[in-house]
Amino acid sequence: MVATELLPSSPYQFHFWTATDATIGIGAIVRVDDGAGRIVHAVIVDGRAYSDLPTPLHEVVAAEGNPAAQPPPTRRVEIRLWTAAVLRQEPPEPVQPVPLATVHLATESDVEIALRMDAYVRAEPSTAIPIGIYSAGGMRAPVYLDADFLLGPESAHLNINGVSGLATKTSAVLFLLSSIFAHFPRSKGQIAAVCFNVKGPDLTFLDQPAALTAADREMYAALGIPAEPFKAVRFYAPFKADGVNLNTLRSHPDLAGSVEPLVWGLREVLDFAEVLLNRDDIDAKADAFLDFLGDRVVGKTFRDEWGGQHRVESFAGLERLFRAIFDGLESAGGRDMWRTHHVATIRKVRNRLLNISTRCKGLVTDDDTAHDLPFGAFDDRALYVIDVAGVDQLGQDLVFTRVVSKLREHLERRDLGVDHVVVFVDELNKYAPADGPETYVRRMLLDISERGRYLGLVLFGAQQFRSQVHRRVVGNASTTIYGRMDSDELAMPGYQTISAATKSKLATLPKGELMVRHPHFAHPIFLKFPRPAALAGRQGIERFPPAPDVPFGEAVARQLRVLDRRIAASGVQDLIDGHREVDVRSALLATRRARPRDPLAFFAARLRPSIPRRTADGGDQSAVQPLKPVEDPYAP
Amino acid sequence: MAAGSPHRRAGQPITDPFATAWLVEDDPLRAIQVGGPLRSPPGTGFADGIQRWMVEGHFGLAPVVRAYVAAAVLTRRDGSLAMAAEEHEEFIVVPGERLTTEQRDALDRVGLPVYESDTSARVHPLVDQYAAARIVETRRETAERKAVRRFVDAEPTSWLVMDGSVGHLTGGPGAERVIGLVKSHETQYLEGADLLTALTLREGCRSSVFERSRAGGTPVYSWYLRLWPWTERDLLHGLTRLERWADRTTLEEATLVSRWMLGERAPISTPDASWDRLIYPIHHIETYLRARMGGWN
Ligand SMILES: Nc1ncnc2c1ncn2[C@@H]1O[C@H](COP(=O)(O)OP(=O)(O)OP(=O)(O)O)[C@@H](O)[C@H]1O
Ligand SMILES: [Mg+2]
Repeated sequence: MVATELLPSSPYQFHFWTATDATIGIGAIVRVDDGAGRIVHAVIVDGRAYSDLPTPLHEVVAAEGNPAAQPPPTRRVEIRLWTAAVLRQEPPEPVQPVPLATVHLATESDVEIALRMDAYVRAEPSTAIPIGIYSAGGMRAPVYLDADFLLGPESAHLNINGVSGLATKTSAVLFLLSSIFAHFPRSKGQIAAVCFNVKGPDLTFLDQPAALTAADREMYAALGIPAEPFKAVRFYAPFKADGVNLNTLRSHPDLAGSVEPLVWGLREVLDFAEVLLNRDDIDAKADAFLDFLGDRVVGKTFRDEWGGQHRVESFAGLERLFRAIFDGLESAGGRDMWRTHHVATIRKVRNRLLNISTRCKGLVTDDDTAHDLPFGAFDDRALYVIDVAGVDQLGQDLVFTRVVSKLREHLERRDLGVDHVVVFVDELNKYAPADGPETYVRRMLLDISERGRYLGLVLFGAQQFRSQVHRRVVGNASTTIYGRMDSDELAMPGYQTISAATKSKLATLPKGELMVRHPHFAHPIFLKFPRPAALAGRQGIERFPPAPDVPFGEAVARQLRVLDRRIAASGVQDLIDGHREVDVRSALLATRRARPRDPLAFFAARLRPSIPRRTADGGDQSAVQPLKPVEDPYAP
Repeated sequence: MAAGSPHRRAGQPITDPFATAWLVEDDPLRAIQVGGPLRSPPGTGFADGIQRWMVEGHFGLAPVVRAYVAAAVLTRRDGSLAMAAEEHEEFIVVPGERLTTEQRDALDRVGLPVYESDTSARVHPLVDQYAAARIVETRRETAERKAVRRFVDAEPTSWLVMDGSVGHLTGGPGAERVIGLVKSHETQYLEGADLLTALTLREGCRSSVFERSRAGGTPVYSWYLRLWPWTERDLLHGLTRLERWADRTTLEEATLVSRWMLGERAPISTPDASWDRLIYPIHHIETYLRARMGGWN
């Protein structure tokens, strides 16, 4: 170790040199022991090498101006000078500069002490969650996070960032989830995870095994995590616009029946209709009208002033009510107020609501049949994947808001089925952007990031650029992981505390290596983690290529076959002939939800006899038609 | 504070400005183009020593000098220099004749060797210091000699380049492998046209070999070699004088040895002021020994 007037050692930093061939580098943990009871652990944050050459000009002189001259017989003396940032000093008091003593590479037990992991690794029950392997100079040591600080109540949330494809963000989160499921102490309660699949097939094969290398398996063994895919995964996806084919890339016949439909009716949407509004809308008292609809209209018998009686259970019913209102106002000489609500507000709410039913056709049904996540019956250590990759942004926002709000509600009431839920949101920058208008989704994410830890609602967010996510959302994450980073991003003010050497390491970090910040670690630590044992989306669609969409009748038959393998397509086709698709869908959902002993009979019974009302082009007349005559003053 | 080395400062008189030479290779002395740099043979050793002293106090007017000398031989493997032999000594020098028995006893209790310097009849503080410095210099030469001897004995085929005169190493086993690299030109052995030829050698040229006088010792062969161009600079810029034992092989190998020294010009030994006459491995020994000297810096 060296300390000079120009390079003094302080309580938080010191310098030392090594031979030029020493196998240490940025991120290596070292120990200084003064032999008199003071032990300091530190991590290398900077390194410099220089020779005794006073100015490069002297090298020119020596080579007589010829850059191609034979190299000189003697190499100049060279120094490797390292700067280390203190992780821990024992004893912690009084705070003193690091003593001048020999510097050693940390051993496995040093790593445990340096990162203050001893307190929770050795606790009973242990709250240690393995996150990866630290390695330097041929020594390897497991690194653990503290569940109390990762998943609450002390602190919570995790944020991971880094460039696409190379940062292994999604992989790291999946690995950590399997680690949590394997190590979260039973005494702390039950835990589940909800993942929103927003990118292609990313998270849709997590129940399938991935190919692992021997090195990966070794890491799993060293960390005490079974190298297996997730044991309990439930997949949810909305339908496509046809209302029977599921909107997911997990559609290979071998996996048939493994995806549950996610279908919401008016009731479910209306509760979270605020998502569909922006700030202007709220000023315009749209929320008051929404409340009115929710409290007085939907699911109740409602009489309008013009003698009409409505029982609104679906979007179609709602549309009939709106038409009655507009027609009534028209006949009353073009009045612009109805029951304290301005006609423009009514018109806007109508447009927003009916817009979602057309834009998210497969998610939102016209009728009252819904198929939802099992709120109230969540299973311990189960993973709930909601595939919204094929849904447009508005629909994603709606799914996201409703699911998270429901989780929150149930956790508050302690009746979700589990005590803790990790919500994994990829592309967090889309939902909680640093700038842009205030949205309901962003407000909700902020709320979770600030209060979630008391409820057991934990946010794992991933994005390419941390700087693009709302400061408080990332700021409230107790654990931050950095994969390979973009150098422009690293130049942003948010990364000022990271040394230049660490930044350059981050900018060239290989796949499978991460830098981790955690409340117990005084400085971020570099470590390696294995590939997830669950199949990644890209390999998944190669192994299970998506099946093409099938015609309506066949799709219905397939869904029913999930419940009873013997059901034949032809029989189903005969049954549904002459029925409106909307009724067929409704009967199908009801059957799926009820899981009756005789699905076909149940389905047939639910198919209410109806009079086919088909137009020449086969279009369904009951679908919502756009209102033409009056312009929407709030339309963008 | 009286400290440092007895090296001469500009403006001080030179003790031995002139000495004698006998031409042994050519008469008159010639300038010989040696033919460009060559790598020194693998395993070549490089030797140098350092000395430091300071007046720690006085017994009456008698100075008590504490001194440290060290010497080392480094060898080069794959371009890196590594320690091959090392010697050091810390000691006290006093004008012994002027101390009382009690004062001597007090010094002995320090636990360092005590050497006695010459005393003149009348007391002169600077002369006393100078006498002490002479002792220090002798001790350094002794340390160098020991380190060199160890290396030469241990490596029976390696060459050795030492800083300064080969002096006493011109005889004895291994003498044929020892090269002295002299960078101070305080004593001039040549005169007239021979001196002109020697001091105006062009870069990459050596002079003919001559034998220089050496008080009371075995004869030494020597020649000049210009490492760097001197025109537009000082006459002595880049000028070195090489020494070897007085043997026919020295004449035969003077060109080869000169080419080895040209091969050692890079890397240059800056920031040392005498980099034009110093080779890097020898410069490095001094850095190394000074770093190891600790509190004596
Ligand atoms: N531990 C690991 N070691 C080596 N390679 C890995 C590891 N984990 C993942 N990979 C590989 O890295 C690639 C990218 O992984 P991943 O999809 O997790 O990145 P990402 O940061 O989420 O990318 P994007 O921003 O595009 O979503 C994959 O091809 C994967 O096989
Ligand atoms: Mg990803």
